[in-house]
Amino acid sequence: MPSTIVTIELNGTDRELIARPSTTLLSALRETFGLMGAKRGCAQGGCGSCTVLLDGRPVVSCLIPVVTVDGSAVETIEGLADGERLDDVQQAFVDHFATQCGFCTPGMIMSATALLNRKPDPTRQDVTEAICGNVCRCTGYEPIITAVLAAAERRRGDPAVPTPTVPTPTVPTPTVPARPAPTEAEV
Amino acid sequence: MLTSVQTPGSPEAARAALQAGAVPLGGGTSLMARLNDRAGGDLRLVSLRRAGLSGIDVQGDTVAIGAATTLADIEDDARLSYLSGCVRSIASPPVRSLATVAGNLFVPQPYGDLAAALLALDAELDVLGADGARREPLERVVTDGLRAGDLVTRVRFAAPAEDTFRFHKASRRRLNSGSIVTVAARITIEDGLVADIRLALGGLARRVMRAAGAERVLLGAPLNAEVVARAAEADVIEPFDDAYASAWYRARVYPVHLRRALLGA
Repeated sequence: MPSTIVTIELNGTDRELIARPSTTLLSALRETFGLMGAKRGCAQGGCGSCTVLLDGRPVVSCLIPVVTVDGSAVETIEGLADGERLDDVQQAFVDHFATQCGFCTPGMIMSATALLNRKPDPTRQDVTEAICGNVCRCTGYEPIITAVLAAAERRRGDPAVPTPTVPTPTVPTPTVPARPAPTEAEV
Repeated sequence: MLTSVQTPGSPEAARAALQAGAVPLGGGTSLMARLNDRAGGDLRLVSLRRAGLSGIDVQGDTVAIGAATTLADIEDDARLSYLSGCVRSIASPPVRSLATVAGNLFVPQPYGDLAAALLALDAELDVLGADGARREPLERVVTDGLRAGDLVTRVRFAAPAEDTFRFHKASRRRLNSGSIVTVAARITIEDGLVADIRLALGGLARRVMRAAGAERVLLGAPLNAEVVARAAEADVIEPFDDAYASAWYRARVYPVHLRRALLGA
């Protein structure tokens, strides 16, 4: 079968691509449009690192032949920030140390964004359920859950939200213990 | 290798493509994962995403769900709140946004928890075949499968009366895990005795199964631990080993989870 011209609204702009039958939405994003935020992890829909929004819903983009979503709206992590200004969820991930190696972060943030778009005042349990398909091997999840809840509060404009202050690391001057004089045996 | 992906705009066009040898693609959460995992022979897919098979219709007690309706759509529909626990136990939100109702009917075990729920609800399927439209009991389809080229277009069932539907799933993790044992039941108690029972199981055979033996033990009996323990012995189960549990473990814990499903403890 010949390749097909597919149009998607990508982060608010109509974009076209020529797709083979086997081209997934993830491949189109990474290889055609150069958007490297969504990651290829397991290619099984199990790790969530390729999560993007398709017509507002979180989806694992590795499992979608792109020709089947012709005419749909796709939002990726690259569409969130306004220039250099991070959006609330991204900023909360920075503020609450919710990212370490960063591989899961785009998918995690898109799952969180999908949740907050539908449920502006989620419970901790809601957040846990929303990110249950996004695997993170670094953080232990707790900082991520905290960040999503903080982003929700910030989005609601809750003035009670404390912006965490990042403590200036104080580097202690290492004190090197004086090396004891060699014993007779070492000499 | 994927040689073509068609996206027909009507059920009839989708069926014609299936008749010509293409393979149906629902949400792709099982099929695409397999295709990503290993190379195979030439394969033509027909996507049901645009075939006009999505939507939920509730008229009184009669529920009709389009075959390509996603699990997320079911989860969001307050009229189907009795299915919420079942649907939320399946995979994760980014998978449920894609996975379809009809796909869940044919996915290999230990998945297919919605199929177990629909079997307990005595669902029927609208099927479009070479001879036109027909209706098939889900129970027959999960047992015998469909003919090549048949297309499921809709799932129908009667909404359960309030507090008569039970769903219980044992899994490795509380969220996003395949089934170790799944129990789905429609049960009515009158005067302290089981007046109506329909019981379906997942994780205990290669396909979801109806527990007809357990139904016979329970029908007309008082619902207590002793009766439920006898019911758990009444069916031939053929559990299997997988990454979630061994066959031995599944058989060992089935009575526990049948009790939890029916008695809540």
